[in-house]
Amino acid sequence: MLEYSPSRRELLKTGMASVATGMALMSLPEFIFAGQAADEELVPFQNVPRSTPNSLDWETLTEWLTPQDQVFSVQHYGIPEVNAAKYELEIAGLVERPQKLTLEAIRALPKQDQFMTLECSGNGSSPGFSNAVYNSRWTGTPLAPLIKECGVKAGAIEVVFFGHDRKSETLRPGTPRELTVEVPFGRSLSLDDTLKLNLLLGYERNGEPLAQRTGAPVRLIVPGWYGIANVKWLRRIEIRDRRYMGRYMGRDYVTVRGERQGSEVVFVESSVTRMNLKSAIARVTRRPAVDGKVPLKAYGAVWSDGTPIAKVDVQLDGGDWRAAKLDEQPLEKHSWRFFSIELGSVAAGKHTLVSRGIDANGHIQPSAKDDEIALKKTYWEAYQQWPREISVEA
Amino acid sequence: MSVATGIGHRRIMLLMAVALAGAGPRSARLMAEEQPGVVEGIVTYRADPKRPWRYGRYYIKQAKTGELADAVVALRGGKLEDGGDKPPAKTVTIDQKNFQFLPETAVIRAGDSVKFTNSDQATHNVQVSGDIASLNVTMPAGGSHTARFDRAGGIRQPLKVGCVFHSAMQSWIFVFDHPHFQLTPQDGRFRLEGVPPGEYELEIVHPAGDLRRRRRVMVAAGQTLHVDISISPDDKK
Repeated sequence: MLEYSPSRRELLKTGMASVATGMALMSLPEFIFAGQAADEELVPFQNVPRSTPNSLDWETLTEWLTPQDQVFSVQHYGIPEVNAAKYELEIAGLVERPQKLTLEAIRALPKQDQFMTLECSGNGSSPGFSNAVYNSRWTGTPLAPLIKECGVKAGAIEVVFFGHDRKSETLRPGTPRELTVEVPFGRSLSLDDTLKLNLLLGYERNGEPLAQRTGAPVRLIVPGWYGIANVKWLRRIEIRDRRYMGRYMGRDYVTVRGERQGSEVVFVESSVTRMNLKSAIARVTRRPAVDGKVPLKAYGAVWSDGTPIAKVDVQLDGGDWRAAKLDEQPLEKHSWRFFSIELGSVAAGKHTLVSRGIDANGHIQPSAKDDEIALKKTYWEAYQQWPREISVEA
Repeated sequence: MSVATGIGHRRIMLLMAVALAGAGPRSARLMAEEQPGVVEGIVTYRADPKRPWRYGRYYIKQAKTGELADAVVALRGGKLEDGGDKPPAKTVTIDQKNFQFLPETAVIRAGDSVKFTNSDQATHNVQVSGDIASLNVTMPAGGSHTARFDRAGGIRQPLKVGCVFHSAMQSWIFVFDHPHFQLTPQDGRFRLEGVPPGEYELEIVHPAGDLRRRRRVMVAAGQTLHVDISISPDDKK
């Protein structure tokens, strides 16, 4: 169980205080990283669209826990209104003792915090969709004890999480066997994963009740898995003896990728599940030019499915990869880590920067040209390196 | 950036000609009374560190002085009318480039057209919604679509433009039934010429910043009224 320790709270407060002090001193720019020097100025990216509300604003990334106004939300069946006062979560299916839990009953159960970076699996699939990631302290109650308490029957292999959101789905459209049915949104996990992954029934984010668009009153929290697994507006948890094949398990959120098998490229369809190792440069700053050369510094974030991060490298204009400095704190298994790197001085003109994460298993975040990305035919799991273009004046 | 500051020059010239031809005191008085005025000034943003404007950096280049770009400045009420001296209809281009609309805000007169273009390799869409017009077209790579906007919503009823495929893409079109409007450039300056003397609301809206400010102004014949507008987080709608 993760604790929200006084030292961490103190640390975060200190970080925010230093930001606030910086703001007061400088008045503008309005956003600075903790540790950023007063003479550092933002160098805007040339190949990144302007940020908009309700998505991460990379260039002003200052807070390890993302503010609510930068939290993205994606929903496939609309945003349902769920009355918290009448809310009931059902645990049913292959269990000896089905349960119905009100929000009050869920809140009365043992409380647990989970720090977690949540990313949409399509994040990074285009310059217009690269802000769908945020970090949070989720609060809820662990699900595994509840499932066990219900008494799982023999033969159970799958746990399906249904939301309150519903929509008509048409299967085999345009064929004689076309079929349209109204279905609730659903995603599933194996029973084994459900009991091992430290899932939460989450009802608070950063100490506040969930917002409607992010799943109020209760959503599933699946540490280390892409956003789609973290089912919002949770209505029913059903234990089954068959694999669930709803649209978002069996048809969408299926990565199609070519894999080299000898001299052959074989296309394999796999489910979008755990998050991939990923890093991104959040912002580049400059200092006043010296002898016509401009000192640059880059800041960024790196995250994974919980596999420890070993290193982040940054490359400038196709040169050597150089190790960035990873922040020692805050450090949580499932949350992003911030990094920074002094890039030295560059001549006026256009420059390209890119970062790559390397995890404890030696896995390196691929570039868009590497097979695992280049042979991927679907946009989910867009974890390729993100080159950032800048233009500096002396 | 589209800037429209149409002036009723023909009418002024005609009045002057009439006045000179008549050469009487009454005509001279008429000329003086009818001579249009000018409203000019500069729009700045006064930041409040306690209420930071996260996206202000896109519109404010000089942080210390705060000159605000992409603010719509327009007169409202008074004697404003779409007279007979309307210039030929124009076509303004809004491009979809690097997954954003450029320009993000456009100001036009009723009867003008907007040519939407897609310079990206990706397929976009143009969805225009508002009380005065609606539109929903797919924009293939390299594609274009031109739409004429005949109804004016003025500064209070802009058209919101988006792309259904890329929700972060945003744009606004303001359609006016008079020529006294402008979009501020990087230096935040505006100059509304040819304004008939009278009392007006000078309105300033920054759609991306959700900022709005109104101010009563009296335009005197033949005079230039200088009005500097300082907007702050207090002006958030």
